[in-house]
Amino acid sequence: MATKVFMEALSPTMEEGRLVKWHKQEGDAVKAGETLAEVETDKAVMDLIARADGVLQQVAVTEGQTVPVGNVVAVIAAPGETVGASVASGPPPTPAPSGGGMRDARGGMRDAGSGMRDAGGVGPAPGDVTRVKASPLAKRMAREAGVDLKVVTGSGPGGRVVKRDLEASASRALAPAAAPAVVESHPASPIPHPAPSGAPYEDVPLAQIRKTIAKRLVTSLGPIPHFFLTSEVDMERAAEARDALNRQLGDRGKVSFNDIIVKATALALTKHRACNAWFQEDHIRYWNEVHLGMAVAVEDGLITPVIRNADLKPLLEIGHEAKQLADKARSRRLQPSEYTGSTFSVSNLGMFDIDQFTAVINPPEAGILAVGTITPKPVVVDGQVVPRRRLRLTMSCDHRVIDGATGAAFLSTLKGMLENPLAMLL
Amino acid sequence: MTGLAVHVIEAGLVPYAEALAWQRSLAEARIGGRLPHDVLLLLEHPPVVTLGRDSRAGHVLEPPGVPVVAVERGGDVTFHGPGQLVGYPILDLSGYRQDLHWYLRTLEQALIAALAELGVPAERRAGYTGVWTRQGERKIASIGVHVKQWVTWHGFALNVTTDLSHFGRIVPCGIPGVAMTSVQREQGEGRGEKELWGDTVAAVKRGFATAFDVTATTDDVEQLRLATASRRTV
Repeated sequence: MATKVFMEALSPTMEEGRLVKWHKQEGDAVKAGETLAEVETDKAVMDLIARADGVLQQVAVTEGQTVPVGNVVAVIAAPGETVGASVASGPPPTPAPSGGGMRDARGGMRDAGSGMRDAGGVGPAPGDVTRVKASPLAKRMAREAGVDLKVVTGSGPGGRVVKRDLEASASRALAPAAAPAVVESHPASPIPHPAPSGAPYEDVPLAQIRKTIAKRLVTSLGPIPHFFLTSEVDMERAAEARDALNRQLGDRGKVSFNDIIVKATALALTKHRACNAWFQEDHIRYWNEVHLGMAVAVEDGLITPVIRNADLKPLLEIGHEAKQLADKARSRRLQPSEYTGSTFSVSNLGMFDIDQFTAVINPPEAGILAVGTITPKPVVVDGQVVPRRRLRLTMSCDHRVIDGATGAAFLSTLKGMLENPLAMLL
Repeated sequence: MTGLAVHVIEAGLVPYAEALAWQRSLAEARIGGRLPHDVLLLLEHPPVVTLGRDSRAGHVLEPPGVPVVAVERGGDVTFHGPGQLVGYPILDLSGYRQDLHWYLRTLEQALIAALAELGVPAERRAGYTGVWTRQGERKIASIGVHVKQWVTWHGFALNVTTDLSHFGRIVPCGIPGVAMTSVQREQGEGRGEKELWGDTVAAVKRGFATAFDVTATTDDVEQLRLATASRRTV
């Protein structure tokens, strides 16, 4: 009976581990107690120990890859045994289907549902004895996509062609491992739909095209290839809403334009996850939570304290928190936890009478919104020139993550929310 | 009290490769049950740059003129040298908690307590293992560990009177822009280096014993040499 090798939990608080080194390669004989690989969490590395004698098979994870705890990273086949089944993902308690086979379609389905990546592989068709250095899944994907494996550069152990080498796009999260049309089913966009799992974020490996885009753009403009999108927003209705709220609140507090812009930005980000992301060199982390950095000028520079889960907080709370954080920033009392972890930032120079400006991205975030001052301007409405309060928003985008149309769609949603504050309720 | 006794060995200045061999022998002995108690090695290294499993070549900024060693601990690149108190706990975590995050946080706690005793306020920085001062602006101690069958080796490095200019040659821990500091620099007092070193060693021993809830007894380095030597002849 083959033994699955799982990503082990090295701590109850560990959700995923990075496989940093394989000590054994596919096909190597292993003995129980021997070190198969090293797994890293935080700054601790632990040896992954073989729990059975046999031959290491179906190495599904390459060095440097991050794997959720409980997923299968390889299989140890009993001596002489041929493992023609899948390395299916899924936590250890899932019993293999009766009949001794290891194909576990449920594991793949569950991964699809949870939005975890690395959904695992699928075994080769019976009788597949091709002597190509490639994982069974890669072989199958190549067959289905009509790709000659000889022209594919393998990135797996020993130059082995693995699944990711064959993927034109990175959205493994949504492809059930056992889906027959893995390659064809990938959407052109690498951005997965919001994961219902409640995980705070989701890592999507960079597809080859995204890697190339990243490299090329960096060589053309700075370490972060910025581009800028500006949109002018009519603030009349936001102003009306603010006045009405403040009348109602009376002594209980005041809502500022900044609070409304922060809230609307956070809500717009929940609808455009593609802009709520971190560029992480070899992958993009799309956040399911919105933590808004708020650029605050301090004596000797600036710092961006973070309003966590800004999309979920009421306007008054955002206002209160923003003020507290800004005060702490100016008196240099911010704790590291208060200025790290933002997923997107807002910089407001409205109070300095700046009409519009471009802000510099706060890495690893993919975007920042520069907010100018609200100015009365003559605007044509229904054929009449009327004075309206207008606001210029400029979004800086990291082109490695956000393309023009992606940024524009976000900005359009944000504009819609500010011009019609009721849209925030949608 | 866990009731566990940790034998502390102050080994002085030990070349990196030799200390690594000791650690590996001790850990293997602990895993195999030949070593009946936990050990904390305290020592200094001659200048060396070590690369953890998470290292990127770009984080060594210039040919450092000191040996560069790749090792099995977690974390990125770091520098060891005279004036830095290096601690290598060989602990069987099954006697404590089988939880690497707990272990890392407890190592941090041990050093934070020791630094408090030395009058240096220090803290953790969320997401960045190690010990920091000045609200996370400066890093005073680095941590990187390796564990096999819940027995630990590698550990921590606390800058006491370290020549901090060495860190200019690397990106410590792979965090660009991180500023390193030392006990001496944070205290800002003109105390004798020897006295400061002795105080730090004592404070770290106490901090370790408190954080891990163990009794620390001091062993002679010769016993270590004997233990590892006899292990090699087995």
